[in-house]
Amino acid sequence: MLRVRFHGRGGQGAKVASRVLGTAAFLEGYYAQDFPLYGAERRGAPIAAFTRISKEPVLERGVIAEPDIVIVMDETLLSDPLSSPLAGVREGCVVFINTTHSREEVRAKYKITAQVITLDITKISLDILGRPVLSALAGGVAARLSGLKEDSLSKGVEKETSEIITDRSVIEKNIEAAVHCYNAVESHPHPAPLPSRGTEVPEGEGRKTTVITVPFEPAITSSPAINTTGSTPMRKTGNWRLFRPVWDYEKCTKCMTCVARCPDGCIALNEDGFPYTDYENCKGCMICAEECPVKAITAEREVHSW
Amino acid sequence: METITIKTLKDLPPEENLLPGTAMCAGCGGLLALRHCLKALGDKTIIVNAAGCFTLLSIYPFTPFRNSWLYTAMASAPAGAQGVRDALDILIRKGRISPEENLKVVVLTGDGTAYDMGLSSTSGAIYRNLDFYYICYDNEAYGNTGFQWSPSSPFASKTATTMPGRIIPTGAELSKKNLFEIWRSHKPPYLATISPAHPVDLVNKFKKAEQFKGPKLFISLAPCPPGWGTEPSRSANFAKLAVDTGIWALKEAVYGEIRHTFIPKKFKPVEEYLKEQGRFAHLFKPVRQEETIRKIQEMVDGYWKEARI
Amino acid sequence: MKKEMLTGNSAAAWGVRLAEVDYIPAFPITPQTEIIESLSRWICDGEMDARFVTVDSEHSMITAAGAASATGVRVFTATSSQGLLYGFEMLYTVAGWRVPLVMVNVSRGVSAPITLEADHNDILAARDSGFLQIHCENCQEVLDSVLMAYRLAEDERILLPVFVNMDGFQLSFTREPVEIPEIEDVRRFLPQYQPKHAIFKASQPMAQGIAVLGGPVYSYFKYQMHLANRKGLDVYKEVSKEFERVFGRRYDAVEGYMTDDAEYLLIMTNSFSTLGKAAVKRARESGIKAGLLRLRLIRPFPDDDIKNALKGRKAVSVIDQNISVGKGGILYSEIAGVLYNEKDRPLLLSFIGGLGGKNISPGEFDFIFDSMSKAADTGEVPAPQLLYTEAEWKEMERLKKIAGKM
Repeated sequence: MLRVRFHGRGGQGAKVASRVLGTAAFLEGYYAQDFPLYGAERRGAPIAAFTRISKEPVLERGVIAEPDIVIVMDETLLSDPLSSPLAGVREGCVVFINTTHSREEVRAKYKITAQVITLDITKISLDILGRPVLSALAGGVAARLSGLKEDSLSKGVEKETSEIITDRSVIEKNIEAAVHCYNAVESHPHPAPLPSRGTEVPEGEGRKTTVITVPFEPAITSSPAINTTGSTPMRKTGNWRLFRPVWDYEKCTKCMTCVARCPDGCIALNEDGFPYTDYENCKGCMICAEECPVKAITAEREVHSW
Repeated sequence: METITIKTLKDLPPEENLLPGTAMCAGCGGLLALRHCLKALGDKTIIVNAAGCFTLLSIYPFTPFRNSWLYTAMASAPAGAQGVRDALDILIRKGRISPEENLKVVVLTGDGTAYDMGLSSTSGAIYRNLDFYYICYDNEAYGNTGFQWSPSSPFASKTATTMPGRIIPTGAELSKKNLFEIWRSHKPPYLATISPAHPVDLVNKFKKAEQFKGPKLFISLAPCPPGWGTEPSRSANFAKLAVDTGIWALKEAVYGEIRHTFIPKKFKPVEEYLKEQGRFAHLFKPVRQEETIRKIQEMVDGYWKEARI
Repeated sequence: MKKEMLTGNSAAAWGVRLAEVDYIPAFPITPQTEIIESLSRWICDGEMDARFVTVDSEHSMITAAGAASATGVRVFTATSSQGLLYGFEMLYTVAGWRVPLVMVNVSRGVSAPITLEADHNDILAARDSGFLQIHCENCQEVLDSVLMAYRLAEDERILLPVFVNMDGFQLSFTREPVEIPEIEDVRRFLPQYQPKHAIFKASQPMAQGIAVLGGPVYSYFKYQMHLANRKGLDVYKEVSKEFERVFGRRYDAVEGYMTDDAEYLLIMTNSFSTLGKAAVKRARESGIKAGLLRLRLIRPFPDDDIKNALKGRKAVSVIDQNISVGKGGILYSEIAGVLYNEKDRPLLLSFIGGLGGKNISPGEFDFIFDSMSKAADTGEVPAPQLLYTEAEWKEMERLKKIAGKM
């Protein structure tokens, strides 16, 4: 069995990517299973989705703790405490990362010992689709790494995107983008051809876990209440961004429009009265740039230049 | 009593009572409206929240608020407000807390709750003249569950349960329920529509409402990028277009007497508002649904004709 | 101290008045309505310093009650059957807030078919909600239990809402002599509620009823509710001891009636326990070593008390005045669960009786004792049995004919 785990941000298409892969495998004659992990999070927040591919009926349920392939659709997730895309990654696992950096740079930066493959699929998506929606593209990468045929991938993308898109030309572009990514990922050994590891133990078995007896705590501690205020900035939603707003103070007239239009209240004034944003929490909605009457704010693509 | 009004964006209260880092979508129009509401209300408030997107503003152990918060359930947030208001009054009257400890009680719900399930408890609270604020963030569908049709969904909009199809190409066949008029029939002291793109108007309305004891009710249009099929950056823009086309009338009613607070000098055609939203895309492609677009324009024209502006 | 003829509803209202409750959100429903009528009259007359508000539904009523309790006042409310189910969502919610509300439920069979008389499907449906539950046999006990309920609910080790249950008609509308305690004694037993964990005020912002994401966080809060509810077993012992000291009346979590040397026990709850006690007396007169165990505390479930009380008996019959449709008696299952790992456990028989207020006649109790003695002789336990007489069946035949059936 091959276990594939997708990590993305809400709205990027991790769920559809897992379905593209599941459908492609299904159409190729495998047993497949795919599902998303819904938090209550919104567009931009970390989400995960999973696909299992097997020659035998799949006798597993739930999250994949020890994946064979990990698809990281957004590099910023690697340093997001709410995501942990590298959890359970072992020797022999393949980790795909959507980044502008090379595989050597990424391996060193994030100390990944497993195999790493990189490709800037956000750029491909912007070029071909005009929007950073990565479902078909991540599905294309995953299909190649899983050893599926290009034809199965195309059919999978067509079937899955038809469920959510009515415009035929957009569907065609998604197929094109998926196939482009499929072929752009250098051919390399995927983690053992299907079917893999016949001797594997199901997840969870043989793992050392200590079950404890939960102690009683009085309601002053154990009621679902919060005694602090204004603590959400600790969550640091800044890594949701695909684009960052950058101010040109030469053009800025201090009109306050950007301050008034920021849904998250991230924009404040510096001591000279110029607006600046809290990049740790700015989600990159870019309303500020859209609304700025003198176009003093530009959107710069968020590439992780570490 | 005349209240002091503000004139420009520079006069908006500088305090941020709703902090960043929430789980709301990038570009959430409802969040933008709420941010301004809380600027106007100050931090001595308690929000009594009903099930909806904003349930997730506070997720243990984080809260974005400087004020207090109580999550209730979908149908009964106004009843929760009743309990809190009454309890505060009792505690103050019996001398168990000082009057300085008093709080403004604010109900916060989405349109699904406000327009349907919560009507019974809301009607009860308004009728009893409960001294509270009610803010409805209206994104025109059940947004938290993935944008299904609600009685607030506009005619001809696409939602997850009114998908335009071969038999019904229109999308939603029913028109948006008129919550403003339902609430107005109770003759509350203050009732207004607001928009996240008109924060000066919004803040002035809250300031005006402050003088009244009793229900003070606000409905805010809340552009919803994932539900409306729009770019997050366009949320304020669509909120503004809704006003400029006359689709979202900015108005207030004091004890039932209506006054429009902003009337566009020249109304833009509704098409400008509709054509760039994914939820109305089926009206333009693959074939233009002329009849439906005309009907929407007529509905808007009809409203303003009746309003005799 | 004075003694008066009071209905169960009046007794409940007196308990609330003596507890000096601050706030009562209300909604009428038969057979509970008399409680809120009495309270509103006292408030209008100035005999109670509380606020009374009629809201639009039980759902709103429980919300308002919980929210007021979460703000820091002492709250009371009451309902029955359909009303309880209409507000059901909020039972779990308010319990989850960890606020000490006291609520009287006047038991009434649940629709459909709609009826007015008592059985316990309403209150037992709420058994998993987090509320503690005290079930009463007589009117005095109703008044006393309301006072004890506030002590339990407001104890810092518990901080959960509490139900006090009484049967519709059999108690709610039935008058009995009830001793009304002196307010000074009540104040000694039940001081003013002063919350530390949940209170809304400007100087101390607090977010309550927060959403959680993820099983471990949810499990923590849910299980802490369970532990707090279970703590109620110890706290109950303290509270009942103190109640006895102040008022001279004793209420154990389970009440034994002629149980000392009993070989055959009935297990019952609520007002029909009185009929069971009469049956035990009759059985004793005819030489059967009979006894009765009345469950008063249903949540937390007094496992150990029940185990000890049933040790060494020949046979025990649980009479459930409820039916879990598709399974059978609810308390039978719970007691069987308590006994399963006991070495010296008795035979356990299941009877369903008194649904919709149906009487349980002496003949039906005779049938139960016969069944127990037969089971003890043969070692074989009969299938669960509905208590329903031939005469009742014949009458039902007649009604069906009129209704055009058959």
